[in-house]
Amino acid sequence: MVKAYRPNTLTEALEILSTEKCTIMAGGTDLMVQRARGSAVLPGFDRPLMFVGHLKELQKIYQDEEGIHIGAAAILTDMMEHELIPGIFKEMIGQMASPPTRNMATIAGNICNASPAGDTLPYLYAVNAQIVLQSTDQKRIIATRDFIISPKKTCIKPDEILVKIIIPAKEYSNNYYRKLGQRKGMSLTKVSLLGMADVVDGNILDLHIALGSVAASIVHSPKIEKSMISKKAGEIKEMAEEIVKQYADLIRPIDDARSTAIYRKKASLRLIKDFMENISQE
Amino acid sequence: MKESISTSVLRVDSRKKIRGEAEYISDWKFENMLYAKTVRSTKAKAKITAIKLPDIPKDYYVVDRNDVPGVNRMRTVVSDHPIFAEEDVQYIGQPILLVVGPDREIIYKIVSQIEIKYQEEEALFTLEEAEKRSTVFTDYNYKKSDPKKAFEQAVRIIEDEYSTGYQEHVYLEPQGIAAEYKDDTLFVYGSMQCPFYVKNALLETMALPEEKIRVVQTVTGGAFGGKEEFPSLNGCHVAVATHKTRQPVVMIYDRDEDILCSTKRHPSITRFKAGLDEYDQIIALDIDVLLNAGAYNGLSPVVLQRAIFSATNVYNIEHLNVRGRNFMTNLVPSGAYRGFGAPQTIFGIEMMFQDIALILGIDPLEYKMRHLLKQNDPTCTGGSIHEEVKMKEIVQKAVEQSDYYNKLKTNKKYQGIGISLFLHGCGFTGKGETLIKGKIILQKNKDVVILKVSSVEMGQGAETVLPKIVAHTLDIPIEKVIYETVDTGLIPDSGPTVASRTTMIVGGLLRECALEMKARWDEAETFEVSKIYKHPDFLHWDDDTFHGDAYPVHSWGANVAEVEIDPITYELTIKKITAVFDVGVPIDERALIGQMQGGIVQGIGWATIEVMKTANGKLIQKNLTDYKIPTSMDVPGIDCDFVLNPYEFGPFGAKCAGELSFVGSPPAVAAAVENALGKPIKDIPITPEMLMEIDNDH
Repeated sequence: MVKAYRPNTLTEALEILSTEKCTIMAGGTDLMVQRARGSAVLPGFDRPLMFVGHLKELQKIYQDEEGIHIGAAAILTDMMEHELIPGIFKEMIGQMASPPTRNMATIAGNICNASPAGDTLPYLYAVNAQIVLQSTDQKRIIATRDFIISPKKTCIKPDEILVKIIIPAKEYSNNYYRKLGQRKGMSLTKVSLLGMADVVDGNILDLHIALGSVAASIVHSPKIEKSMISKKAGEIKEMAEEIVKQYADLIRPIDDARSTAIYRKKASLRLIKDFMENISQE
Repeated sequence: MKESISTSVLRVDSRKKIRGEAEYISDWKFENMLYAKTVRSTKAKAKITAIKLPDIPKDYYVVDRNDVPGVNRMRTVVSDHPIFAEEDVQYIGQPILLVVGPDREIIYKIVSQIEIKYQEEEALFTLEEAEKRSTVFTDYNYKKSDPKKAFEQAVRIIEDEYSTGYQEHVYLEPQGIAAEYKDDTLFVYGSMQCPFYVKNALLETMALPEEKIRVVQTVTGGAFGGKEEFPSLNGCHVAVATHKTRQPVVMIYDRDEDILCSTKRHPSITRFKAGLDEYDQIIALDIDVLLNAGAYNGLSPVVLQRAIFSATNVYNIEHLNVRGRNFMTNLVPSGAYRGFGAPQTIFGIEMMFQDIALILGIDPLEYKMRHLLKQNDPTCTGGSIHEEVKMKEIVQKAVEQSDYYNKLKTNKKYQGIGISLFLHGCGFTGKGETLIKGKIILQKNKDVVILKVSSVEMGQGAETVLPKIVAHTLDIPIEKVIYETVDTGLIPDSGPTVASRTTMIVGGLLRECALEMKARWDEAETFEVSKIYKHPDFLHWDDDTFHGDAYPVHSWGANVAEVEIDPITYELTIKKITAVFDVGVPIDERALIGQMQGGIVQGIGWATIEVMKTANGKLIQKNLTDYKIPTSMDVPGIDCDFVLNPYEFGPFGAKCAGELSFVGSPPAVAAAVENALGKPIKDIPITPEMLMEIDNDH
């Protein structure tokens, strides 16, 4: 049998965690699959389970001067339907899994699963989303890229709960998202590219590029981005080849059951180029 | 006026399935029932040197080859697959033993503690390796006219090779089976297509007399050929387990186990050598078909037969040399799958025609039409096309409805349109029907009529179509026709539910019985009419020389596919399919359209996203996370139309339909992709990875 806790409040949850290591479960859409052992047999968990998906204080989505706060247990469907969530992020979420899964899966689950194919991650990396971790005696705020250490590994401590994510309240003028999967829906990502830019009067004021599933972590380089910011949109086309070359060094995909390294690399670079060409037409 | 037989009725099984009331085998509960879990080989080829068992607790059992009371081989066309492994294993996933007991937790624990020691041997996996090492299971050859001379006279010879990949059935309900003794009679219940195949397998493995075995089909959630021969294997497993434990035993596979060990569509290579005369007409074909049968031959010889008898498709080629070989490899055995070998060769020849036409600078469709079979033409095996061939009408409809030629002209790069022509031989291949001699019984019981057949409902609509044929003939409401439980103790053997034979052959017998019953209706309150299938007299077939009518009649069709390729990522989008079929007369138009759309979608899946490969004998795509089938997002609009062409010996003129639906979409999609990229497509599945490589000059 599996021991499980269903705390009534976040405080109660944190208190339990301060004395006992638990596996924290919200929607369970990754965990239940990863720990499955066969039909009609309970999944295998080596620690007690703690359910947190029902905690109201973890479900809220609201805005203040820091930005938009997304509760850890906000489900994907709620994010898709929420007026505060930026349009491109909604579009990305809308391409994740299937409606039943989106009704269960939470944003924190997608982050803590720490897969390079996690579909909320390119956005969170691109906008430098802040992860808020809470324990009984401490609150830590960490950038997403620092929170995820390697595939399947984060820096969360056993007594902490990821309580919310803070993203900037910002929409970009140019948004580009392509998710490539084996089929058009209900598919894990084999390559994804998120491109966002602010182009005003032909000047690039801000720009972000993030790629999923093409390296051990999300590919996102503030340094390369910086080289494009404050350029004229028209100039960027000439830069494309050089920029693509720089990304090529960061993109280190693998062969797996879903695609090939060579395709992933070529498709990524072609998508970057396409995004840049799109901007240059502004 | 009486409604046409084609007018749709509510599907008999829809209500219970939609409401969740249908009881699948995994819903069944027996008193004192035990569960079984299979321990399988983890090596592709090895000698088993030792099996170390942990202490087995009370009420738990290990069942292996030593418990088999009869023959430890699964009976099928070639009975070579051991029920439980003996000294050696030949593929990863091969069953070695079962752990049986009341609690699945404990079963899993015992399974995890079993240690099997192997001495590994060199294995082989690909068709190329198998051909090099000549691991041939079956080698067939037939000729027509004088191919040698024709090739000498040909002014031009064009050669090409096409390949196709694995396909997993992905029936919604995984394999599930159960067995129990009632008194001293063995009952086997499960999800299956062919109760009498299972019964025949049990006869040998259990060494019981015929009257002591009953096989009962339970609600079957899809099959597509995947539940044709396979339930003979797991059926014997639970039977041996129940024989040892004397308790009911249930064995339900998880999806991953099902994918690991159940049969799949044969990967294939088809090589063509075409001899052309001075008018560019193909006068001779040399066709070489290679199928990857996996570790045991099983049903593969008959799959190979259909593959080679379908290899000239709808075309009349005067001189032929056709060879087909099944190769042994150390992979899970391949088996029956909708189309049964024909989709592989028809994909090949359709692409060959397209590719030769493009080389010659001729419109592919026009080039195909020049070679079309017509009524009374000889078939590839020297039989005769007895039926009227309505391909011109079919093609004209498909061309007009899809605006084919206009789009062919105006499509830009990365937009493509392609057409396929195809047929399917109805019913069993060759002697099949005359060997089976399907028998059916129709019983009048006051105001209801009971139909007794061994055809099963597996999602295709048999439970609606067969009663409808009887009801329509007798002029009684369909509710008054009762489909007897498919239990070999209650029904005659009308043959397996395969080869698109149910409506045409079994439905045909029911129609005959119903006509007789109608004439005799007032004779008595209760009486029975029974018929045994008889092949029409004008058909002849020689199984030794493969000469004659391989099939009594054919169904025909044309598919047009429209595609778009993303120029950046090479993702393929199928925009539209236009399909026109001649299946004689539709028995229920809505049910039939559903079946045709389903087959088209399954064909699209095989041709595009359904990638399944192996590495060192292990499936790389081993679960539904990695092996994808189309969702509604991947499925285009499908226009489906029929050309009526009643078949004299089919009920109300019906011919075969179920498999015909599958064969057309793969070559149509591939042709459309060729058209979009201006590059030849020789292999399916067509993936973005492959297209990016092909179009590498971009």
